[in-house]
Amino acid sequence: MEGPIMIKTEKVLHLNSSKGRKVRVVREHYVREQVPCGSSLCQADCLNDGKVLSGDVTHYVVPDVGVVRDFLEILEFRELQGIVFTQTAYQTVQHTRGRRHYNRLRALLKDPRHDCVLFANEFQQYCYCPRDKGESQDKWHTRNVYNAAVWYYNHLAGLQPVVMITEDNDAISEFSALNSGVYVISTQEYLLSFWPDLQAAHDLYSSIAQTLQERESEAVEKVYTEHLPAEVLEAGIKSGRYIQGILSVNKHRAQNEAFVRYEGSASKNTDLNSDVLINGAKLRNRAVHGDMVVIELLPRNEWKGRTMALTEGQGEEQPLEETQSQPMPSGRVVGILQRNWRDYVVTFPPLEEVQSQSRNSQKILVIPWDYRIPKIRISTQQAEALQDQRVIVRLDSWESTSVYPSGHCVRVLGKAGELETEIQTILLENSIHVPPFSEAQLREMPVNTEENRWQMDSSEVSSRRDLRETHLVFSIDPKGCEDVDDTLSVRTLPGGKRLELGVHIADVTYFVREGSLTDLEARSRATTYYLADRRYDMLPAVLSADLCSLLGGVDRYAMSVLWELDAETLDVCTVWYGRTLIRSSYQLHYELAQSLLNGEEVEVPELSRLKGSQRDQKLVELLQALETLTRVARHLRAQRDKGGALELEGVEVRAQLDEEKNITALVPKQPLEVHETVAECMIYANHWVARKIQESFPHQALLRHHPPPKQEFFSQLIDCAKARGFSIDTRSNRALADSLEQAVDRQDPLVNRLLRMMATQAMSNALYFSTGACPEEQYYHYGLALDRYTHFTSPIRRYADVLVHRLLMAAIQLEKEGSLAKPLASNKELEELAQHINNKNRAAQHAQKQSTELFQCLYFRDKDSKTDERCVADAVIYAIRANGFLAFIPQYGVKGAVYLKDREGQVVSVDGDGRCEWKAGTLQRYSDRISSCTSTGTHTFYLFSHVTVRISVEPSRCHADSLCLELIRNKPHCPVQPESQPAGGGRSELVQEVVRRAEEASLQAVEERGRKPKLSREERQFRQSRTPNLYVLLQEISELALLDLSVCQIRNTEEQTSTASS
Amino acid sequence: MAGLELLSDQGYRLDGRKATELRKVQARTSVFAQADGSAYLEQGNTKALAVVYGPHETRGSRSKSLHDRAVINCQFSMATFSTAERKRRPHGDRKSSEMSLHLKQTFEAAVLTELYPRSQIDIYVKILQADGGNYSACVNAATLALVDAGIPMRDYVCACTAGFVEDTPLADLCHAEESGGGTSLALALLPRSGNIALLQMDARLHQDHLDALIEAAMTACKGLSKVLDDVVRQHLEEVSVLTRD
Repeated sequence: MEGPIMIKTEKVLHLNSSKGRKVRVVREHYVREQVPCGSSLCQADCLNDGKVLSGDVTHYVVPDVGVVRDFLEILEFRELQGIVFTQTAYQTVQHTRGRRHYNRLRALLKDPRHDCVLFANEFQQYCYCPRDKGESQDKWHTRNVYNAAVWYYNHLAGLQPVVMITEDNDAISEFSALNSGVYVISTQEYLLSFWPDLQAAHDLYSSIAQTLQERESEAVEKVYTEHLPAEVLEAGIKSGRYIQGILSVNKHRAQNEAFVRYEGSASKNTDLNSDVLINGAKLRNRAVHGDMVVIELLPRNEWKGRTMALTEGQGEEQPLEETQSQPMPSGRVVGILQRNWRDYVVTFPPLEEVQSQSRNSQKILVIPWDYRIPKIRISTQQAEALQDQRVIVRLDSWESTSVYPSGHCVRVLGKAGELETEIQTILLENSIHVPPFSEAQLREMPVNTEENRWQMDSSEVSSRRDLRETHLVFSIDPKGCEDVDDTLSVRTLPGGKRLELGVHIADVTYFVREGSLTDLEARSRATTYYLADRRYDMLPAVLSADLCSLLGGVDRYAMSVLWELDAETLDVCTVWYGRTLIRSSYQLHYELAQSLLNGEEVEVPELSRLKGSQRDQKLVELLQALETLTRVARHLRAQRDKGGALELEGVEVRAQLDEEKNITALVPKQPLEVHETVAECMIYANHWVARKIQESFPHQALLRHHPPPKQEFFSQLIDCAKARGFSIDTRSNRALADSLEQAVDRQDPLVNRLLRMMATQAMSNALYFSTGACPEEQYYHYGLALDRYTHFTSPIRRYADVLVHRLLMAAIQLEKEGSLAKPLASNKELEELAQHINNKNRAAQHAQKQSTELFQCLYFRDKDSKTDERCVADAVIYAIRANGFLAFIPQYGVKGAVYLKDREGQVVSVDGDGRCEWKAGTLQRYSDRISSCTSTGTHTFYLFSHVTVRISVEPSRCHADSLCLELIRNKPHCPVQPESQPAGGGRSELVQEVVRRAEEASLQAVEERGRKPKLSREERQFRQSRTPNLYVLLQEISELALLDLSVCQIRNTEEQTSTASS
Repeated sequence: MAGLELLSDQGYRLDGRKATELRKVQARTSVFAQADGSAYLEQGNTKALAVVYGPHETRGSRSKSLHDRAVINCQFSMATFSTAERKRRPHGDRKSSEMSLHLKQTFEAAVLTELYPRSQIDIYVKILQADGGNYSACVNAATLALVDAGIPMRDYVCACTAGFVEDTPLADLCHAEESGGGTSLALALLPRSGNIALLQMDARLHQDHLDALIEAAMTACKGLSKVLDDVVRQHLEEVSVLTRD
């Protein structure tokens, strides 16, 4: 046998066989002398690759098995350095604490920012000790860990004292005096003597210790049935008796309704194609939202329907029999395969409640911010101090004897209701971590200051294709944009037979080397986060706004795609990909470019210094380029339309933006063609890059697909359209696009907008994936109608683009040299990364939405809804429920429920001129209308009809505040009274009038918001625009712009940044 | 509980080996006096005993014999105590017959059967302890036994298994790795010529990974051939010392 010498030993294990019997198994166990120690102080030339412990710490610490198992969170503090995890502890975590905990440990070990390593002590000849006869497993593990600590000390020739921390008091007394230089102390003592200032760790320690203690002394009456053992679950899933899926709790009826969606299509019960309902806490059996559960279907006669009534808050528990829909498959949870617990933000109850709550006052029930999470039991003595604070809590366990899960406090966020606290809450609830960039990261960045200009590297200059002289490169962005990540060029090649189209993208990967701290940070952020009043960048500002940004008139590195097109047919002849040097000649903005195209006389700033013929010549050159570009883009668009590309960004949105133009001077008066031209070029570049990397790396390329939507999700859309006499064909993307185009109500443009919005909701999200993880027929992008697609054009604010850039460079290298300098990420790693990016994108969207809602609430909170005119608005009914309807308020972009029946059972009645009041009566619900019957008569509300609502804020102590809509008139809203005589014939004028007035009111509101003192401090601080309302509208676009969420986001976010800088 | 991790992030397998390292191989030849050739081989905890009789006249019906070469008759069995749970039927079940057939095919490719027309060579192999890689242990033991019997072969036949975990080929799988659900490829190689005598794989594997896997198995086989060669040479030395006296 070659290589290092290994010694074979054997160990005896007692395992459960597949039939459930105990079996004695002998396994080989090879130990060797050469096991890398992972310390930079190593004297024996260990082969340490990867992470290495730094030498400049005062000691190394070796945690015992019990410490790693129960107190891993403390070891996660970055302040604790020089941690050596033993393999013994590592494996114990794997076997006893489940995959999540284990993955956390793994992530900790991989993270270069944490100074810790794994030492494979059980494979080290002198560390490993076989288990003695009759020795308990815990003792044996502790002995192994201690041996490892001693070996470590000796291996480093005593250069570094080693501290072993343990929770086992016997071990302390047994080992502490055995070796000088190796100290054995308890965790608490360790924290006290080495980290006396790290208060957070002390608190966390006592919090966890208390929880552990409580758990031991728990009562024994059972509240829930026990979960079945894992083997039984597995067998049950295989045989089709049980179903596996992810539990999702209905936000509006968190205590009663939860659903389980099937995982994959492997389910054997093909007759069940809907979700399974889990009704009530008993049947849910301790599962928490997001957990992967195993359920058993109930017999058919116990099936229940979902509640269709709108409920106020979550307090109501009595099931309303008459409001239930058709019974649907129901089930109960029999086991949990995987907990998906994260950090939760909770609020402590007021003191008087605390005292009445329980016998022992140490246990407190706190209420999570997220409605879907049950109350959590916390043992703490600080309840008084934490009143009305938002606190981060982690769940520990949920025993069958306890009604609520138990957890422990981690950190205090701040006082509830304050803007900063609420924003932090939103970030945390979406698992977004955006600490400021660390100094070490910023040190990696190149310098570009006034006195110290950044220079191009001469070797880089020679290795890149130089386009500075040969190509006319220009960028088209919103006005005042700082981070330009895409530029364009187009020219006719000599001979005139061919055109050359070029897309040049900022070369971020040159500055962000793979594996650098900046890269790791960007990877964990995955995207730039845009909230209503601020943004969190993915890359430090020196890159995103300066060195990577393709500004006009300066030399920049770029990644380019150049197509040679046939001048006549515009077919692609050849494509060139590679790194280039460019100097953008013109930094145009959309309006300017469009005016140039329209032949208007406009001033191009770059040409203002030139004179006469020279200037005319330059202008003609630029104009020609723009025209050619438009021609090419039209052709590309037409080609995609043939394939059935969807255009879901409603025309209406633009009309809305229309009026905004006056104040913001940002959004074009008309949907400019040049917008589409640029977007089309970007889509084209993305598409071709996707083709290239997929061909080069068929199993490990990062692409983006948009799965076709499920047909059943369209039912609401189809029903609603039917109510208005439109038919929607959803069989293909082509048909859908066409029929949406047709469904326009001349009298009410909102109808089309709402229909498009519903179509958007029915769509699945576009997702990143690794090509090896998905069969080829699923690569299709439904929205764009392209067979392959990826993201390449915005590396400054999306990490996926950075990955694609690296892949493209690797593909070029492979082509040139036939081999790769560095192996690529494997399919599995890439798929994991793609999932991570998808999750972060989803989190970013949610955070964006929630922060908008937060601002809406803040806006209305200061207003008296009874008197303030701005709290009354026009709303459109877009869905009917049993006790009310859902309405959309175009003016504020708010959606919400309007109740027609209150808690006392009274319903809304409408008098002669449309005013509403509460009276005794009944409600009758139909598919397209709902009517209320009272003593004064019957009144019916139809889909898509306009009503007037009053907006008020419903404050909530533990959750986010919410907006509450109250019906005040069954007529469209007109702010000032005069000529509003709603006659049958004059309806169209009325609608127009209303729309116009609504827009005026919205302008007013916008100005109001700008003036609002509460926000202006934040605005100044974060350099955001003074008009948050614009954000709301932009948010609308991105919601509607299903074309591809991200393509539109390019525009969206650039507008965002430009507002920031203006 | 998290599942078994066959290959750790540090590159260690369950039993402490690295991906390309083989288990410890120990072997002895001439363990029985009454047989023509015999060998005992341990590959990790897998223990195999091989006995060879022949070449001799064909037993039983004449019709089985071939006019131009020898017939190879293989019989594989497992001791009842070889697995963790006691086996009911030591031989004759489907798996054993399949294994017998595979062994027969392997050695028909390696033994110079055409030197012994109308005769028969019997190879009996028994697994005493099973811990993964039964087929390869049998082949390696039988090779040594054939050498011990003095039957001319083209080359040593060395066999080894290889698996594929997390995009890395693992050489010489132990029982826990084999039963972990991954791919397992068994390969018998004539190392000097590089010819493959038998290649068997049951589980699914992406075509792109096959080359890497075969490569790993072949490297492992070549490593094994050195060990086998050493065993034979050492045995020869011992015997020659004995005969000199």
